[in-house]
Amino acid sequence: MASTPAKRIIQQVRPILSVDRDEAKRRVLSLYKAWFRTIPFILHKFDIPKNEEQCRAKLREEFLKNKDVTDVRVIDMLVIKGQMELKEVTMQWKQKGHVMNYWKETVEPKPQDFLSKFLSGN
Amino acid sequence: MLRVPLTRAVLAQSQRAGVLATSKRMQSKAPEKVEVFIDDQPVMVLPGTTVLQAAAQVGIEIPRFCYHERLAVAGNCRMCLVEVEKSPKPVAACAMPVMKGWRIKTNSEMTRRAREGVMEFLLANHPLDCPICDQGGECDLQDQAMSFGSDRSRFTDIDHAGKRAVEDKDIGPLIKTTMTRCIHCTRCIRFASEVAGVDDLGTTGRGNDMQVGTYVEKLFLSEISGNVIDLCPVGALTNKPYSFVARPWEIRRIDSIDVLDALGSNITVNTRTGEVLRILPRENEDINEEWLSDKSRFACDGLKRQRLITPMLRKPDGELEAVEWETALIGVAQAVKNAGSKVAAVAGSFVDAEQLVAVKDLLNRLGSELLCTEQKFPTSDGLSGIDFRSNYLLNSSIAACEDADLVLLVGTNPRYEAPLLNTRLRKGYVHKELDVAVIGPQIDLSYRHEHLGSNASIIQDIVSGKHPFAKRLKSAKRPLIIVGANALSRNDGKAFLSSLHSFANQLKPENSDWKVWNVLQTNASQVAALDIGYKPGVDEVIAAGPKVLFLLGADNEAINKDNIPKDCFVVYLGHHGDNGAPLSHAILPGAAYTEKQATYVNTEGRAQQTLIAITPPGMAREDWKIIRALSEVIGTSLPYDNLDEIRDRLEDIAPHLVRYGRLEENNFFAQAEQLAKSQSVAFQGEIDVKQKSLADFYMTDSITRASPTMAKCVQAIKKGQGRAYTY
Repeated sequence: MASTPAKRIIQQVRPILSVDRDEAKRRVLSLYKAWFRTIPFILHKFDIPKNEEQCRAKLREEFLKNKDVTDVRVIDMLVIKGQMELKEVTMQWKQKGHVMNYWKETVEPKPQDFLSKFLSGN
Repeated sequence: MLRVPLTRAVLAQSQRAGVLATSKRMQSKAPEKVEVFIDDQPVMVLPGTTVLQAAAQVGIEIPRFCYHERLAVAGNCRMCLVEVEKSPKPVAACAMPVMKGWRIKTNSEMTRRAREGVMEFLLANHPLDCPICDQGGECDLQDQAMSFGSDRSRFTDIDHAGKRAVEDKDIGPLIKTTMTRCIHCTRCIRFASEVAGVDDLGTTGRGNDMQVGTYVEKLFLSEISGNVIDLCPVGALTNKPYSFVARPWEIRRIDSIDVLDALGSNITVNTRTGEVLRILPRENEDINEEWLSDKSRFACDGLKRQRLITPMLRKPDGELEAVEWETALIGVAQAVKNAGSKVAAVAGSFVDAEQLVAVKDLLNRLGSELLCTEQKFPTSDGLSGIDFRSNYLLNSSIAACEDADLVLLVGTNPRYEAPLLNTRLRKGYVHKELDVAVIGPQIDLSYRHEHLGSNASIIQDIVSGKHPFAKRLKSAKRPLIIVGANALSRNDGKAFLSSLHSFANQLKPENSDWKVWNVLQTNASQVAALDIGYKPGVDEVIAAGPKVLFLLGADNEAINKDNIPKDCFVVYLGHHGDNGAPLSHAILPGAAYTEKQATYVNTEGRAQQTLIAITPPGMAREDWKIIRALSEVIGTSLPYDNLDEIRDRLEDIAPHLVRYGRLEENNFFAQAEQLAKSQSVAFQGEIDVKQKSLADFYMTDSITRASPTMAKCVQAIKKGQGRAYTY
């Protein structure tokens, strides 16, 4: 008796965009394609020391970061955020530095163990 | 004349006030309290309490310049005038004992007008040089002029005659005088004659011509002279090395502990722009009251000179070369690995407990037990030595020393080895019934004492009862025997320990908890090192001929080129490149006591911690971290990564090391004596102390040797020795 209302509630969770996983997958793919097509324009607009291949690799890497997400609502949210990012790039609300932030090559990881902390002066 | 001879002052005071100079014993006789009203608040006080003290009991602070809790009452500044109902004139609160039923008004019209008048007179003769005065911001006169002074001035210098001016005095390299600013509170004079016991300061002239000074041109030479700077309510006496350096509102203050003697005085380190600018005392009734010795106060400029700021390794051609930490650690680790278990460590005088524990853990893991301190302490076979804490501590506690009635000092000069213990003894001598006798060289303790002689055989006579002083000790109610750590480090030190300890146990003090046997340590690190299990004295290390030797700030030349094997790899770990550093093959720069959070145990066995005021200079690191990093490079990592973890380890070894501020009770006197008794006693020769005069006091360790101020003090004394008025 007690389990049925709970079940009903889970079933009745309001979808954000997609009602099932297939639809969510479609949205992800279309976002991926949109980004993919934008890459030449990004390279055109921003003076960044990267080529198309590297950008595609980064794009793939960013999407694959979330490959294990299964919750449809979370996937939808990530898609929305991805769209926002895309808009920021295409509208040039982002600057060169923001774009380069996807690579983050200049950030050195903080030392974690005792000896490297000691040698770096902490 | 404002200053009465001290004995008379004390007598007059006890007749008049009754409560200031009397001991607890007399208070217990007359406990009947009287009721007075401070601003209509009723308060019950003992008869003889002054108005000012009664007001303090209900939390009302009456403004004052000349009154100070720890000095005799002078009553000459008149700032503390208050109205008493039915009294025609205002009374001086600091000197007037209360009467039953008095109604005191601390904020009435009459009181306020009296204060305004006093402030006006003071300011009329006080220069208007606050913008260039070092006291600015911490000046009593400034503060009280703001809160109690008149809001307008009637002072007009119509004739352009200028204000009263007084010639500045030269009273030494520590205290700068601007005597025009003096408001004649006489605190410095009272401090010098009562606490310091150097009756050099006084007043000449009267009225407008009164001057505070030394009568003749001479230096104010006292080991605690710096305290008059704190006492001076205005900028007449200021800190000379600190003059024009910083303002109090731009300074960061960090509470810490002093390590330049073994008392562990509480201090506040004042820093700005990553530099220690000055050190001030912090109140602690159990240790330093509110005083501080000159060495602790003024040696802080030694903390930024002669520092080791980078690791160094000795090149094959014999030169020391600055290297990176990584290189240095690998170099030392290589040597340690090659040495196997033939590794030893010698701890100097500024080593904190964390470092001691880290080094001990490391060496024990390498299979070595060769850990010792530079200073010797008798431990040989059969003697309980350092097995019982009571053997090497100042058991009776610093604060209790002033309650003793007979003190025997053996082979120590507390005036320079622990100036604030000496002020305690002096306090007991002046205000209570304390007598002092000394076995050792003729020294000036700043109070009268009996000199029993300097030959060690006198101890033998006292212990066997032949000497007349033995009888006095036996009949004393609260006797103390204070033995200097340097006397115990002599070759016949065990004779001192065994004979005096068993004699101390024979004495029958009035209260059976009273502890007669006391050792006055001279190094801040010694007690912690012995607690942790370091062996005193370097003999064992020298005999073992180690392949690698760690010198933990060991600068007192117990280890030198001649007594260690030629192939011994010496690692110096410390903050100053002092005597130990030139011997070494590797130098690892550590942090001084102002630069680390570390534990020190003082001579009475009280653990206290310093706090980080500034960062260590250059590439210097906290000492225990160096050992921890080295252990990892060697391949036997020590199991602590941060301060909390190493403090847990400290607690495992000796729980008292992390009970900060607490004094642990010491016991096992009888057992310690049992073990000591079996020893045959053989004294040899004369007893000497290292620090006999003030010139010996200033430069005794690596920090003070690096301090220009301390060097100036020694120079000033040497220059003064040829003068007509010697000291």
